[in-house]
Amino acid sequence: MSTDANHEIAVRCQGVTKTYGTGVAQVAALRGIDLDVRQGELLMLVGPSGCGKTTLISIIAAILDKDGGQCKVLGHDLEQMSQNDRVRFRGKSIGFVFQVFNLLPSLTALENVAIPLLLNGVPRGRAEERVRSALDSVGLGERMNAYPAQLSGGQQQRVAIARALVHNPKLIVCDEPTSNLDHKTGQDMMDILRGVAQSPDRALIIVTHDPRILGFADRIAYMDDGRITDIIAGKHRGQLQ
Amino acid sequence: MLYIALKMLMADRAKYTGLLLGIAFTAFLVTFAAAYFSGFMTRGFALIAENGAADVWVMDAAVESVEQTINMPDSALDRIRGVEGVRYAVPLALGTVDARFPNGRFQTFQVIGVDDATLAGAPVLKDGGVPTVLRAPDAAIIDDGGTSGKLLTPVLKTDQWPHDGAHLEAAIRELAVGDELLANDQRIKVVGRSETLPRFPPRPLIYTTFANAARILPQERHLLTFVLATAEPGLSPNDLAQRIHARTGLRARASEDFKTDTVRWYLVNSEDVGDMAAMLILAMSVGFGVTGVLLYIFTYENLKQYAVLNAMGATPRVLLSMIFAQTGICALTGTGLGLGACVLVGEITAKAGYPFRMMWFTPLLGTVGVLIVSLTAAAISARPVLKLQPAVVFAGR
Repeated sequence: MSTDANHEIAVRCQGVTKTYGTGVAQVAALRGIDLDVRQGELLMLVGPSGCGKTTLISIIAAILDKDGGQCKVLGHDLEQMSQNDRVRFRGKSIGFVFQVFNLLPSLTALENVAIPLLLNGVPRGRAEERVRSALDSVGLGERMNAYPAQLSGGQQQRVAIARALVHNPKLIVCDEPTSNLDHKTGQDMMDILRGVAQSPDRALIIVTHDPRILGFADRIAYMDDGRITDIIAGKHRGQLQ
Repeated sequence: MLYIALKMLMADRAKYTGLLLGIAFTAFLVTFAAAYFSGFMTRGFALIAENGAADVWVMDAAVESVEQTINMPDSALDRIRGVEGVRYAVPLALGTVDARFPNGRFQTFQVIGVDDATLAGAPVLKDGGVPTVLRAPDAAIIDDGGTSGKLLTPVLKTDQWPHDGAHLEAAIRELAVGDELLANDQRIKVVGRSETLPRFPPRPLIYTTFANAARILPQERHLLTFVLATAEPGLSPNDLAQRIHARTGLRARASEDFKTDTVRWYLVNSEDVGDMAAMLILAMSVGFGVTGVLLYIFTYENLKQYAVLNAMGATPRVLLSMIFAQTGICALTGTGLGLGACVLVGEITAKAGYPFRMMWFTPLLGTVGVLIVSLTAAAISARPVLKLQPAVVFAGR
């Protein structure tokens, strides 16, 4: 189900399929997904558990191989890339925000946020400057030396957002970013994602169960049983156009 | 990323401490076992070590160690003295005799008969006396040779050499100067006690003159076990050994080579050494197993973190370097602790009279052993990291 927008396409999936298991245990997670995500857009993937949302963003984020179809991300055909190129592509071009934050518990907020920069070869001194700025932008400038265990869930997720943004990626994928947060913190988080993460040359894909945050989307893609069943314009559609 | 790897390693103090202790224990065990084994082997060639003045040991062509010997004809001594380059050569007799104590008990001794003229090979006495006391008739210097409580005699004169049979249960004391023993029905008079290098296997020793040894040892046609030769200045022990062998047909070995021969002989022929080695290998295997499993578990428990790093752009090479850096730091720190502990405990052990000897290769063995096991464990634990699907970072995977 492609869109008809004039905006530059950040992600284009055509007929993407994925199955898990073999023989009688085989489960089709994706049954031919067609989806375009445009630059500057915040797209939400919504659907019941097991419908294939996480599988789809894993494929888009180049951390899972698809079985069939085509998937171009930021102009790159993932299938044509070697494993190492794909890892480097992820490190440079994609930011991740996870449901369970996935901060490294042994590192401070500052060190956690610095990881993408260090992986991209930025010297530690320069990385630190950029990390401070990223943490300031999510309101955690004062807690940069705190360890994850010393931060609340909301603060941890803000650190994760800073980590996803610090290297200025062109695509950010978020997996249930608000599901471990209370309503107020979830709304704050979405404000940050919309306000800080979204820019004209950057696409955001958010997988969510949380109906309370659907209002932040430019478009909402509904999934069921491995297929996209509907795509509707969100509240922010007007902004996009 | 190495900094991050080290922070990951040290973040959980309890786990890190456990890992270090496990590795330290392994390094300690391997080094201690090797040093203990070296101690035994050193005791095996104690007779060679305590005759430092001898450059070359000459023996029957079939003899390979000081532990299993056969004697040569007495004429061998003159033949050796006749070889060009021999500065001097002295005889040494080695044999075993059962000696009876004054209360009727008995003990097997190794008899070491030294040259009557020079007394070369005789030990310094415990009380600082000189071995010239051996020139007295029937004189012998006795030594416990690594044993304890075996050289005893009755306290009371009436219990010594009684006419009414043995006084086996009489109160006893350590043998001292002036006491007598019977060996092969010949009188031996204790003229001193020495404290030479302990033997392996431990056994009491009787040092006496060659002539006296001939008197107390069981009758044999030949008595000459070794000839200890010293080289003329400018001639190396190895060259002299080759020359003696060429001229006499006897086996001649430089002292250092003969020590090595003796160790090899023990390794090949002694069942005791085999049993010890088996026990040590078992102990080492346990230590190695502990280290390997701990390192593997550490990496395995951090799989999710590696997956996150991989998702964020850490290549397999970066992940591998992190794992090996963590392993290397653990291995080196743990080995350092283990070796330190080994030196401390070894010092105490050696002072207590046990055969602990830290030779140059023992800490090396411990270090190399731990490094091999650690790197193997790292390589094994790296496999799941490299095979990891980074998709596990998303909930539900």
